[in-house]
Amino acid sequence: MNEEDLKTMIEGILTDMTSGKGSSEKKAISNTQGSNIASGTTAGSVASGEVLDDITKIDLRKQFLVPHPHDREGYLKIKSFTPARLGMWRAGCRYKTASVLRFRADHAAAQDAVFSDVDPNLPKEMGFLETQTTCTSKDEYLTRPDYGRKFSDEMVAKIKNGVTPNPKIQMIVGDGLSSAAIEANVKDIIPAIQQGLKVYNLGFETKDVIFVKYARVGAEDQIGEITNADVVCMLVGERPGLVTAKSMSAYIAYKPKIGMPEANRTVVSNIHDGGLPAVEAGAYIAEMLDKMLRLKKSGIDLKAAENAGN
Amino acid sequence: MILQTKLFDHLYSFGSVKEVLAKANEVKSGDELAGVAATDATERVAAKVVLSNLTLQDIYNNPVVPYEDDEVTRIIIDGVNKRIYEEIKNWTVSDFREWILDDNTQDHEIKRIRQGITSEMAAAVTKLMTNMDLVVAAKKIDVEKTANTTIGRPGTFSSRLQTNHPTDDIDGIMAGVMEGLSMGIGDAVIGLNPNDDSVDNVVKILNKFEEFRAQWDVPTQCSVLAHVTTQMEALKRGAPVGLCFQSIAGSEKGNTAFGITADMLSEARDLTLHQGQAAGPNVMYFETGEGSELSAEANFGADELTMESRCYGFAKKFDPYIVNTVVGFIGPEYLYNSKQVIRAGLEDHFMGKLQGISMGCDVCYTNHMKADQNDAENLAVLLGAAGCNYIMGVPHADDVMLNYESTGYQETATIREIFGYHPIKEFEEWMENMDLSHNGKLTERAGDASIFLN
Amino acid sequence: MKDDQILSVGIDLGTSTTQLVLSRLTIKNFASAFSVPRINISKKEVIYKSDIIFTPLSTQTEIDANAIKRFVANQYQKAGIDKQDIQMGAVIITGETARKQNSSAVTQALSGYAGDFVVATAGPDLESIIAGKGAGTNLLAKEHRKNIVNMDIGGGTSNLGLFSDEDIIDTACFDVGGRLIKVTPKEHRITYISPKVKELISSLELNIQEEMIVTADELKPIINCLVQVLENSIGLGTKSPYFDTFITNHPLHPENRIDGVTFSGGVADCLNETMPADEFRYGDIGLLLGSGVRNSLIFKEKTVYPSIETIRATVVGAGSHTTDVTGSTIAYTDGILPLRNLPILKIAQSDELLESEDLSEKISEKISWYQVENELNNVAIALVGKHSPSFDDVQRYAAGIVKGAQVLIAKHEPLIIMIHEDMAKALGHSMFARLPAHYPFVCIDSVKVENGDYIDIGEPIAGGEVLPVIVKTLVFG
Repeated sequence: MNEEDLKTMIEGILTDMTSGKGSSEKKAISNTQGSNIASGTTAGSVASGEVLDDITKIDLRKQFLVPHPHDREGYLKIKSFTPARLGMWRAGCRYKTASVLRFRADHAAAQDAVFSDVDPNLPKEMGFLETQTTCTSKDEYLTRPDYGRKFSDEMVAKIKNGVTPNPKIQMIVGDGLSSAAIEANVKDIIPAIQQGLKVYNLGFETKDVIFVKYARVGAEDQIGEITNADVVCMLVGERPGLVTAKSMSAYIAYKPKIGMPEANRTVVSNIHDGGLPAVEAGAYIAEMLDKMLRLKKSGIDLKAAENAGN
Repeated sequence: MILQTKLFDHLYSFGSVKEVLAKANEVKSGDELAGVAATDATERVAAKVVLSNLTLQDIYNNPVVPYEDDEVTRIIIDGVNKRIYEEIKNWTVSDFREWILDDNTQDHEIKRIRQGITSEMAAAVTKLMTNMDLVVAAKKIDVEKTANTTIGRPGTFSSRLQTNHPTDDIDGIMAGVMEGLSMGIGDAVIGLNPNDDSVDNVVKILNKFEEFRAQWDVPTQCSVLAHVTTQMEALKRGAPVGLCFQSIAGSEKGNTAFGITADMLSEARDLTLHQGQAAGPNVMYFETGEGSELSAEANFGADELTMESRCYGFAKKFDPYIVNTVVGFIGPEYLYNSKQVIRAGLEDHFMGKLQGISMGCDVCYTNHMKADQNDAENLAVLLGAAGCNYIMGVPHADDVMLNYESTGYQETATIREIFGYHPIKEFEEWMENMDLSHNGKLTERAGDASIFLN
Repeated sequence: MKDDQILSVGIDLGTSTTQLVLSRLTIKNFASAFSVPRINISKKEVIYKSDIIFTPLSTQTEIDANAIKRFVANQYQKAGIDKQDIQMGAVIITGETARKQNSSAVTQALSGYAGDFVVATAGPDLESIIAGKGAGTNLLAKEHRKNIVNMDIGGGTSNLGLFSDEDIIDTACFDVGGRLIKVTPKEHRITYISPKVKELISSLELNIQEEMIVTADELKPIINCLVQVLENSIGLGTKSPYFDTFITNHPLHPENRIDGVTFSGGVADCLNETMPADEFRYGDIGLLLGSGVRNSLIFKEKTVYPSIETIRATVVGAGSHTTDVTGSTIAYTDGILPLRNLPILKIAQSDELLESEDLSEKISEKISWYQVENELNNVAIALVGKHSPSFDDVQRYAAGIVKGAQVLIAKHEPLIIMIHEDMAKALGHSMFARLPAHYPFVCIDSVKVENGDYIDIGEPIAGGEVLPVIVKTLVFG
């Protein structure tokens, strides 16, 4: 249970204690692991005010719909080894309603993460420098990767004037293919990177972080050229899967230049609450940044240098 | 050769056969990204009109990548039977379309004519076909290939069992394999995309697959879809490679980006025939997909459909057991939405079959594409009607390693149900023996992975 | 990260035999190229198995430390390795040997001698776990998805380890073994009877004592009784009145289901249906006990699985299955490793939710428990942590820990933090910001520990990205 759930539950309990009612609400909120279909009302077609359980809270690794398995315990065991949607059974040769709805819910979250913008307040609250690539719409962003790597002259000037020039580290936050990933992770990862950098006597100021709308990874190359940074680190939303729509990656490059080989980027992927937690990723990225500044390399060159024992 | 026409009094002129081919293509975001698409809908039709009047000889003489510069072009042209080509070279593309669709044209005649055509001709005729044309034309063509079992026999519909895992956890992979087999999935191949492409890991998974396959005596073939060189090394270490896999492209430069050459594939085929697990003679497995050449900047100004067709011409040299287009995997910059994916799926399937390829299709989409599972199901049904050899069987259609959506076990079962198709014969007999199906109908045990436990 | 290898030694000083194995553990990064390394032990190979010698005793109550040193030196030479090559390992003093007067002195002596590694002095619970892993019972339990108990029947004790799906779920130990009675091989004159068997003899009113010449038949009532205790130990047969007498520390918890059994230890090689002609060939009752077990209810009522190792199970377990690794997202300062025998101080999970001020109080209170006669020894502070914590959570943990550990910091003890959830690196950085400059600390995650465990942390390997860890579970159940 996360802090939010806990808080909600405690609030629910407090409400109960003070008013002596609301047991049905509490059930709906706290019983997240239970059946996904709440018991129906018996009061005809009158709306009861009850809330159905949130089907997206069901742990897919434990959900099991096979009615008469040959070996239930064994099935649950083998199913626990994979995030794949196993043990969902069938209705004839089609899917069960519960599993098909969950699939659609997860797909909906993924699509929303792609097709909606990052909350415009987020870069403002964080104090980032707000920029946009030459893409003018989400559609253009999706079909023209080349536009998502470029800035207009006007935008170049804005970046030049907006951030400290020639930094050791230039941080970038780009929406990429998941606005949800940025919204879920940025607030925790930025301070974690900053704190980690202190261990190495490095740092950057939050006001120097560049936020890029309609960003492809390649956008960091032009920013590298504009700012003349030693190392550029871009946090960007990954293409969502159904397991999570909130996965973010960091693409880090030593002195990136437009047209630089992709292999020169170091990637830290799978940053989300079910993968590498944002704070831990931040700590890891801080160490990577220090390493790149010391070895003056990134990507496969960095790997080669590390393997050579430098 | 005439490269211009008028439509609604407006003159449309094209500079080359390659330009006509590109502009005659149905709308694809990848062609727009490449800058080769028709400017508007009317120009697209004008290009189709011009294309319909070109002869097969015009197409033959104008491969989209020059013969001298490209190994794939050489393989395609050198593979043509000149006598048969002479018989048909004066056909227009329109003639070719109508000949294929003609009620009197039989499968064995198509099999013969196939030896006289190039991949560009297959692409050209495809551009004149409507979606339903592509279904009915493909339905005519049977392509049978044999590894341990024979795929593509009329009345059968098969699937690849694909149970990828984000960390290649072997128990997690096998859990999916068990559930899939219990649903009658995996008669085409049990094939895994490994996350860790090391030889050790590939050997480990192949050994596990073969151990399980042998223990339960499942009549099928197994494959781990690592790079071909990795599989060759695994073979040399004694690993039971059933089908030897590789992603291929429609130009030499594209294949270079994949780290392969034709010689390398020949060597892999030879090694698999001599040391692999499957009897053969068809032991190769390839994957393709419209747009992959462009993404490697290896499209040479040609449209993505024509480049895709050339993949099949290249594949033919290695006489593969199966080839599938991974149609919606590449993303919206190449195929924008479900309409484009559905069209591409039907095109690829037909072009492959026309060139004698045992075609399957990974009916799929990524989550940043404007498509959903209903669209995938639509294409699956269309391919079922078109006599596609196989589709994918991914648990609940969600690939948790590659993060895209495909078809689930249920889709194969449903298409068999709708069209009265059967799995591959030996595989269906195995299912009957395992009490998973009775007289072609799934039993109550089907879908229960735990029958393989204990 | 490159794959790396650890050379690990296991030495088993048992009641009757002493042996040594050398294992090579391969450390591999299982993550794909673009992920944070996920490091684990990918391969465990036993590369050398020593001769098995009878445990040298200088008297009935003392181990001959010099003879053991000679044995170890000799085996290293035979294997062609230097003791400097050995990075990890464990000396396990098992069974009755652990109760010899100078046992701890022997392990101390060996620890410097066998290699600069960490020494685990086993209790019966750890021995049960190690023997079960060496026998491969955990793998069988996983493969068959059954609860399988390994019965390691040695010279002085029988160690039971119950595995469910690779995880140990219970242990037990009984004073039942093949060398509870020793006889001269030729005359069959009794040279030794263990104290508990002496009790049994007097209670059964048998006329058996040291210096007597005996036959197998005369010993039969004793063997039957020992076999019955073993049957009882896994819930079979009618309960022997002597069952409790033979418990070393505790029996298995009866509520756990037991589906199958594996056998290891010296007696596992004596499970013959028919008795060999010379039943006292080994100068003890091992063959008699083995035959008794073979014909017992255990074979009639439980599935008996073949084990990977029998007499070598404990030593192989000690060499191959005691070391774990933690890596990639950890934080530590240079020059403080290895650390040995740190007791685990586990913070109650409910306390972890407290604000940093209150959390620090709980931590400092718990640390004071480890203050014995005003002497404070260092401890490893263990926490569960939070799944996917926010940055503020990490700050709260760091503040609580650093403040709560002031008494250790005042003594300049290295701060050792073990956290279960994946947050050690961020926590380490956060502690760094709060600790005095250059203060030594280690912060690792993904290692499960409980109160009562001890931990050894080895020197970094794989270019500093990985730390080998040995968790010693001394109290169990």
